[in-house]
Amino acid sequence: MTSPALVKVGSTSGPTFTGRVGGFAPRGSLARQKQRIGFLAVFPAFFVVASLLFFPIGYAIWISFQKTDGVTSKFIGLNNYLDIITAPLVHQVFVTNFKFLVAIPMVIFLGLFTAVLLYQEIWGWRFFRIIFFLPSVLSASVIGLMFRSAFTLNGPINSALITLGFEPINFFAKANTAIFVVVLALIWAGFGYAMMILLSGLMTIDSDLFAAAEVDGAGWWQRFWYLIIPSIRQQLAFVTVINTLFTFTSLFGFIFVMTAGGPLYSTTTLDYLVFQKAFSANDMGQGSALAIMIFVIIALLTITQSKYLKNDSGR
Amino acid sequence: MRKFSGYTRLLIFLALLSVAITTLYPLLYVAMTSARTLEDYVKNAYGLPKFFTIDSYRILIENYSLGTAAKNTIIVVGLSLFTALIFAAFAGFALAKYDFPGSKAINWSFIAVMLLPSQILIIPIYLLLSKFSLVGHLYGLMFVYIGTNIPFGVFFLKSTFSAVPDSILDAARIDGAGFFKSFFLIALPNAAAGITTLAVLQFLGMWNELLYAFLILPDQSQRLLTPALASIGGRYTTNQPLVAAALCITAIPTLILLAMSSKYLVRGASTGIGSSS
Repeated sequence: MTSPALVKVGSTSGPTFTGRVGGFAPRGSLARQKQRIGFLAVFPAFFVVASLLFFPIGYAIWISFQKTDGVTSKFIGLNNYLDIITAPLVHQVFVTNFKFLVAIPMVIFLGLFTAVLLYQEIWGWRFFRIIFFLPSVLSASVIGLMFRSAFTLNGPINSALITLGFEPINFFAKANTAIFVVVLALIWAGFGYAMMILLSGLMTIDSDLFAAAEVDGAGWWQRFWYLIIPSIRQQLAFVTVINTLFTFTSLFGFIFVMTAGGPLYSTTTLDYLVFQKAFSANDMGQGSALAIMIFVIIALLTITQSKYLKNDSGR
Repeated sequence: MRKFSGYTRLLIFLALLSVAITTLYPLLYVAMTSARTLEDYVKNAYGLPKFFTIDSYRILIENYSLGTAAKNTIIVVGLSLFTALIFAAFAGFALAKYDFPGSKAINWSFIAVMLLPSQILIIPIYLLLSKFSLVGHLYGLMFVYIGTNIPFGVFFLKSTFSAVPDSILDAARIDGAGFFKSFFLIALPNAAAGITTLAVLQFLGMWNELLYAFLILPDQSQRLLTPALASIGGRYTTNQPLVAAALCITAIPTLILLAMSSKYLVRGASTGIGSSS
């Protein structure tokens, strides 16, 4: 016979720090008091986020149905969306934004290259790791302005070109050269973060795998393709997705200080166009509609990308 | 993989060194340019300066009120960071250790809002702040920084506090410790590394932010560093030493922070991954 008292020992009746009670605990109980404290502790953060993030999302949708300059407004239904879908300028900006994606393969290649080399833990590798990460702590306006100063017509790059006997190039006067400079800045700024993520993936590879591969006589390239790459698939996927998101949502700082979208909208990105529509052309309604459409596009893009990359890793 | 011979290791070292030089050279060039006179720069942009001068820095502080901009930035970033961290820490601790009905939904709402791109929020937040006449006030910008930094903070600190063992918290509770005692005396000291990492990441995010700072503080006298830098860089393309000095003033605090807290940044850089596996 087991005494009931013995059975009770060790059962999880009282509220512990992990015990999930589920629903409201009985009024006046210790568990109920703990629930109330928990709620009160979360409340300030939740309140701020609700008023500064949740509410504005709904407000943004509301604005996108209005013709408004921020002072007066008129309901115009879906007209803002229709205007954006049919505007040739938006199509052009969309295509321009895709051109900036060129930076991503370069960022990943350079990130992977440096990560694999650092993985050898060569003399001074920790120091190199910090150096490569250095641009990641700088503001987009700092990096953008550095590259703008370097490539400006009477800047150091052009004086070097002249010394070497070339004609100076007005980089920011033509679409392709302007995009080239921005892409260069993006690569310089971005490869260190990719390196950090990929290196953290490499560090988790079991060194026994390398020993086994060596016994099997696998060469360096074979180990690279069949061992290293599959092992860091997840990190590669993450870096790809995060950089794509970045290209569609966070180029504002670079464009703002480097080209201001010019010459003639040729370096205007989608996020810069939102800013221009809302705050230069004072058309908050169209700005909001465009922002919401960008969000839908990148959401779809992220979902397909991560699905594709996930399926790929299942092979 | 890790067993390369000495010769190959030398090659790898040289490859890394060349990438490091490519990364560092532009920064050193800017630092050097900032410390020379304009005449000296025009004569010989690549050579070493004849003598070093802090004239450009003096001009920026005296004529372009960059000192004020730096002061404003420190005030806004300092107070916002402190408030955001406190709010996020309370919420993260409660979500990790104090279960209550609806806590899961709140947790998910923080994660969902993290994924929103900022340009959706710019217009409504701007209109909202202007309705409360907060455009043109440092407070307005602080609200934005606090609000936009809390979701990631909660997400990050919830996982940090989850790692604090329940047994010590239970023991403290039996000894009569309430929420604040448990939080300040047990949870915080046990999560110090995680909180430092978060503080460093969010400091960088706020210090480097441009768009909200530019829109919400349009007045010259209240500008923060990044918009001030952008406007100086836009107007004085021919005075490279001046622009370089402005770049240095904006960048140096973040570089010092990197030097001091690289351990935490290395940790923080890989957090996006840890949760998705």
